[in-house]
Amino acid sequence: MKRRTIGIVDYGVGNIGSLERSLSALGYRCQTTSNPDTLAASDLILLPGVGAFPTAMAALHAHDMVGFLQERAQSGQPLVGICLGMQLLADRSDEIRETSGLGIIPGYVTALENADWHIGWNTLEAASSDPLVKPSDGRVVYFNHSFVLRTSPEYVIGVARIDQGMTPFPVAIRRENTVGLQFHPEKSQTAGLQLLSDVIEGLCRAA
Amino acid sequence: MLRKRIVGVITVKDGWAVQSMGYSRYLPLGRPEILAKNLDRWGADEIVLQCIDRSTAMAGPDIGLIERVAQKGLSTPLIYLGGIHTAQQGVAAVHAGADRIAIDAMLSDDPSHVHEIEAHLGAQAIIAALPLSVEPTGLMHRNYRTGALSALPDTLLELIRKRIVSEVMTIDWRNDGGRAFDTRILDAFPLADIPLIAFGGLAGPDQLRAVLSRKPVVAAAVGNSLNYQEHTIRHLKKALGDLPIRAPSHERRIDH
Repeated sequence: MKRRTIGIVDYGVGNIGSLERSLSALGYRCQTTSNPDTLAASDLILLPGVGAFPTAMAALHAHDMVGFLQERAQSGQPLVGICLGMQLLADRSDEIRETSGLGIIPGYVTALENADWHIGWNTLEAASSDPLVKPSDGRVVYFNHSFVLRTSPEYVIGVARIDQGMTPFPVAIRRENTVGLQFHPEKSQTAGLQLLSDVIEGLCRAA
Repeated sequence: MLRKRIVGVITVKDGWAVQSMGYSRYLPLGRPEILAKNLDRWGADEIVLQCIDRSTAMAGPDIGLIERVAQKGLSTPLIYLGGIHTAQQGVAAVHAGADRIAIDAMLSDDPSHVHEIEAHLGAQAIIAALPLSVEPTGLMHRNYRTGALSALPDTLLELIRKRIVSEVMTIDWRNDGGRAFDTRILDAFPLADIPLIAFGGLAGPDQLRAVLSRKPVVAAAVGNSLNYQEHTIRHLKKALGDLPIRAPSHERRIDH
């Protein structure tokens, strides 16, 4: 079987090494780069992200990645955003100041309701029968965020809730071959690595 | 439902993992990256890499060490503490492989840097590390560079109140490596609804239960006792199964 290549967008934001090592452990070849040709030639583009939305969007603009990522998603190339990378897929965010996002998945990013943070290990609840997340329904994964992407239910494939009885919020979204994961699969031990493998394999087979 | 965490702490001095007793006596344990890999394998919920000689020497964070630990391919979140004095150093620690950072001296020395780190990394990535003790005069903060005790400064409390940091690590420095954590520290902490990580002197399920049963406490950080035998975290989690903690993980196989 052909060894898949994952193109990791290197735009100077976050801890990319952890993702590289997790993907390598799963048997994937990684290309960490901001070179559009290399990313376009990969089987799947992975958009990581740590920090604040405006800083990350400014970095994507500085690396000429905004139009490129929009075009790649439009073309159907598998694209996965992780943590802040998921939020960047939205139309806009009000973190710190109103900032436009990539606009790949309709929605906006705003602060969590009823909590300042969502930090630690929490249950992922599948919100649809989507085969990318359904096998991980009920598994516990690691979150670290205070903002959340609000989108139409048709794009929501996984949710979490901070406490029993609280309203669930989206933590996994999908529009065609673009997926966003609010948690850190690469930091969620076996549960996260299994989910990451399921998402990559599912998207690559669908493309 | 969000789980409470059991955090493994690796204390590092002169580049070596050490067993610390009151931050005054130390016994060598080995290479920090090996201990980190063990904690990852044993199912810690987070790992803290605490370099205790960086701030006093103004040496900055130990980027080489963070990189060596990260190169072990941990699938457990890594928190780095020690020597971060500027926003650039905090960002560099994250780029080197830390998922979150804990800051201590910077909180008092120059709060403007804390705001700058928040703008880069977001408050969820920042933990305030506070050496504390309960004295006859009340809850006191220890300046570990001078050893002086004082009430928690208003400027520091204001940073926490404004959510510039996401969690506070309450360090019982008096009981570090020794007697049980002084739970009066948690009860005397002046700000309500701030997530607390208890650390210092914690060992065994009864002590962990005493801190984790308190509502503001989101995590218990354990140092020395995790290194006495393998899989201590799993044993602790099994004994604390009635609390909202993540079940011990035994699976390692990934199906493609």
